[in-house]
Amino acid sequence: MKLFYSPGACSIGIHVILEEIGKPFETQVVSTRDGSNRKPEYLAINPKAKVPALLRDDGTVLTEFPAIAWWLAKANPMSNLIAVEFETEARTLEWMDYLCGTVHPQAFTRQFRPGNFAKDAEDEPRVIAQGKALAEGYIALIESRIAGQPWLLSSGYSVADCAMFFITGWATGRGGMTLPPKLAAHHAAMLARPAVQRALAREAK
Amino acid sequence: MKLFYAPGACSLGIHVLLEESGAVFEPTLLNLREGAQFKPEFTSINAKSKVPTLMRDDGSVLTEFTAIAYWIAAKYPAAKLMPATAEAQAAALEATDYAVATIHMQGFSRMFRPANFAPSEADAEAVKARGLEIYNKGLAWLDHALEGRDYIAGDFSFGDAAPFYVTFWAAARLKLELPRNVAAHYARMLARPAVQRVMAREGLS
Repeated sequence: MKLFYSPGACSIGIHVILEEIGKPFETQVVSTRDGSNRKPEYLAINPKAKVPALLRDDGTVLTEFPAIAWWLAKANPMSNLIAVEFETEARTLEWMDYLCGTVHPQAFTRQFRPGNFAKDAEDEPRVIAQGKALAEGYIALIESRIAGQPWLLSSGYSVADCAMFFITGWATGRGGMTLPPKLAAHHAAMLARPAVQRALAREAK
Repeated sequence: MKLFYAPGACSLGIHVLLEESGAVFEPTLLNLREGAQFKPEFTSINAKSKVPTLMRDDGSVLTEFTAIAYWIAAKYPAAKLMPATAEAQAAALEATDYAVATIHMQGFSRMFRPANFAPSEADAEAVKARGLEIYNKGLAWLDHALEGRDYIAGDFSFGDAAPFYVTFWAAARLKLELPRNVAAHYARMLARPAVQRVMAREGLS
């Protein structure tokens, strides 16, 4: 099994899940900063030109963060990374889809890649400001919905928390935000996990 | 159970799944053009101001297309909307997430709401062109995913609902030429009695 990731990208969430599972896996850096994700070698693996992508032992490639996270959790039930009853499973997907499908592309892509939105460079500050405003709104909504302590779901730690982690990492890092109390506790609890520390250390190399 | 939908919006996919499931539900029209999604009556139900939104019989609310689709499939097993293996379930999630988060939210939204992307009106055409590029790339990926199979996960499943609504938009609204496998999938979907009932209810047929 091989994870294709870009340091500091949303793929850190899948990287953490693989570390939590603890089975051997390989990693390959595909930097989205230098455009490696658009080179033919990578497009042959994932024509969507995105990370994360997971090359499985049977040679098939799985893409889309929620699908990869869900599959890894299901394929490794002993790791307890997703609930076994479907109501909580649906809530886990609901969190991941919101974080990966809305919060990431709408709030943070605006801030980190304003050129994807505005064609005119002079408009970029407005796009960034809009991204920051959206991030504030999303973070407030998330804070009001956290059901566990410190985890997102009252049922305990899950792959949804690993998706939350890449968002809080960006918010407190490049986003320059101060997290509200529950999210700050969530982020601190994630940073205390050995699996998170191992993934961060590998990505910093 | 109540489904909040807007005619011809992405909620069409969930509407189809509920109709296929055999569940008793109340389709509740939300007029997005009049901004009903931003009114307190609705934001108290779904603070994200989006459709589809599903209010279950116990009064709890589920959001996010993928999470709702998965929940319906798990809740009504007799309808066989849940693929049989984890592998096929992951394929259904992958196609759903891609259709919703990329083809719809990155492609279609650029074409229909360019002002949400670029602040300058002068950029609108460039934004729309980028949206079309994302849309066509998305259809090409779906075409590849459907190679040699009738439905996304082999047999009909929850994973066909999101590809269906983005294909419906491509055919009926964008007037795009559908790739071969996507066109065959669309025809198969339109031949299903549940799809026909929903299209009639939403005023689309």
